[in-house]
Amino acid sequence: MAHQQTYRPGTILVLVGTKRGLFLLTSRDRENWNVEATSLRASRVFSAVLDQRKGYRLFAADNGDFFGTFLRYSDDFGETWQEPEQGIQFPQGSDQKLTNIWVIEPGRQSEPGVVYAGVDPASLWVSTDDGNTWVINEALNSHPTRPRWEPGAGGLCLHSIIADPSNASRMWIGISAVGCMRTDDGGKSWVFANKNTRASFLPDIYPEFGQCIHHVIQHPTQPDTLYQQNHCGIYKSLNAGEDWIDIQQDLPSEFGFPIALDVHHPDTVFTVVEDPAARNNVGSQFTVYRTRDAGASWEPLTEGLPVGDGVRLGVLRQAMCTDTLDPCGIYVGTNTGQLFASHDQGGSWHLIADFLPSIYSVTAAVLV
Amino acid sequence: MESTDTFPVVTVNFPDALRTKVGNHRTVTASGRTVREIIDALEQVYPGLRFHLCYETGDLRAFVNVFLDKENIRYLRGLDTLVTDGTTLRIMQSVAGG
Repeated sequence: MAHQQTYRPGTILVLVGTKRGLFLLTSRDRENWNVEATSLRASRVFSAVLDQRKGYRLFAADNGDFFGTFLRYSDDFGETWQEPEQGIQFPQGSDQKLTNIWVIEPGRQSEPGVVYAGVDPASLWVSTDDGNTWVINEALNSHPTRPRWEPGAGGLCLHSIIADPSNASRMWIGISAVGCMRTDDGGKSWVFANKNTRASFLPDIYPEFGQCIHHVIQHPTQPDTLYQQNHCGIYKSLNAGEDWIDIQQDLPSEFGFPIALDVHHPDTVFTVVEDPAARNNVGSQFTVYRTRDAGASWEPLTEGLPVGDGVRLGVLRQAMCTDTLDPCGIYVGTNTGQLFASHDQGGSWHLIADFLPSIYSVTAAVLV
Repeated sequence: MESTDTFPVVTVNFPDALRTKVGNHRTVTASGRTVREIIDALEQVYPGLRFHLCYETGDLRAFVNVFLDKENIRYLRGLDTLVTDGTTLRIMQSVAGG
């Protein structure tokens, strides 16, 4: 609890999950940053998030290499961690086994105890008591098409969760390589939402499901508007995922993992695209791309980002985020342990942490 | 119900990473006829321990090794390996990193 007095309201806190542990970066001005290691030191942290709906509770996906995978939470900014009383586990004797926890998302403001988690094998887990006990969403786990779901290279992972703040019965999830799914009845049933998104690696490139969605986000004030970065393109939906519009435009690759937007100017969206074979920057310039017109056009952002024949940086699925300030900050972590940040909507960039383990996830919060 | 009074009693040795799960002990004793029964018995005393050792399917985790004295149970009968009174089970993580 000591840290809660240390971090004053207004502090920007960036949680960086890595191949070996979870780190905290804090700043008052987004120019000077303090880097601290948490006591989660040895595990693969695919997701970490601060829930401020009831004080400060930090959730982390502790994907262990040896003795299991656990969702943990901390009420002292990572000094000590608790395991849920009933954690994310399939029933004993099940034919399913938890591989990795991919994403943890606090629920809506209107459901303060609710937390969601997505895992491999693809399933959605829900807690209604601030993360202390977890139950699986049975409708998704027993979806009639499930026997035909095929994993991507990263596993059959449920990696994106959007609980619609405007509609308590509606959610979207993203599963690789199944696609986008939506529920309109509070999780009792799920439908696919993949029309017009490509699966170039299948004989039928526009299947009902089987797309390798990489990340999906929602517009903050137009709840039917979604953006997704996919293995095969970058897309926008204006009708809650009923169909999708290709917005790759002049981006140099259709392949990328992360996508994030500016909550104060939500037509401003950021992504990083990669060489699909090499899984790092296209050419020799590491580049973040920005649209300010909801995907009608993209511009490369490079000021302060590295360039050279030896620059080969990859950005993983959860490793880019924005903060909630205006002008918004953007944070981009690389698979070689650099964390770049911009506090002017991507106009210029600074290296705010280096020599970290491979970065898997980045989330930002402004402490209230 | 079958009495466990006559089941073998073994010593179970834990790695550092799991000692907080068994009351901060380096070793504990448990009774059972097989490694699986030993783990079941330990789960009763230390709820949640089994998940660290086994998947939900019941199989031993890929990078967890259990040695019956010096024999890796994977090369015996796995979790169905019979134990005898007074033997030691050592739980160790696999070597990692090449």
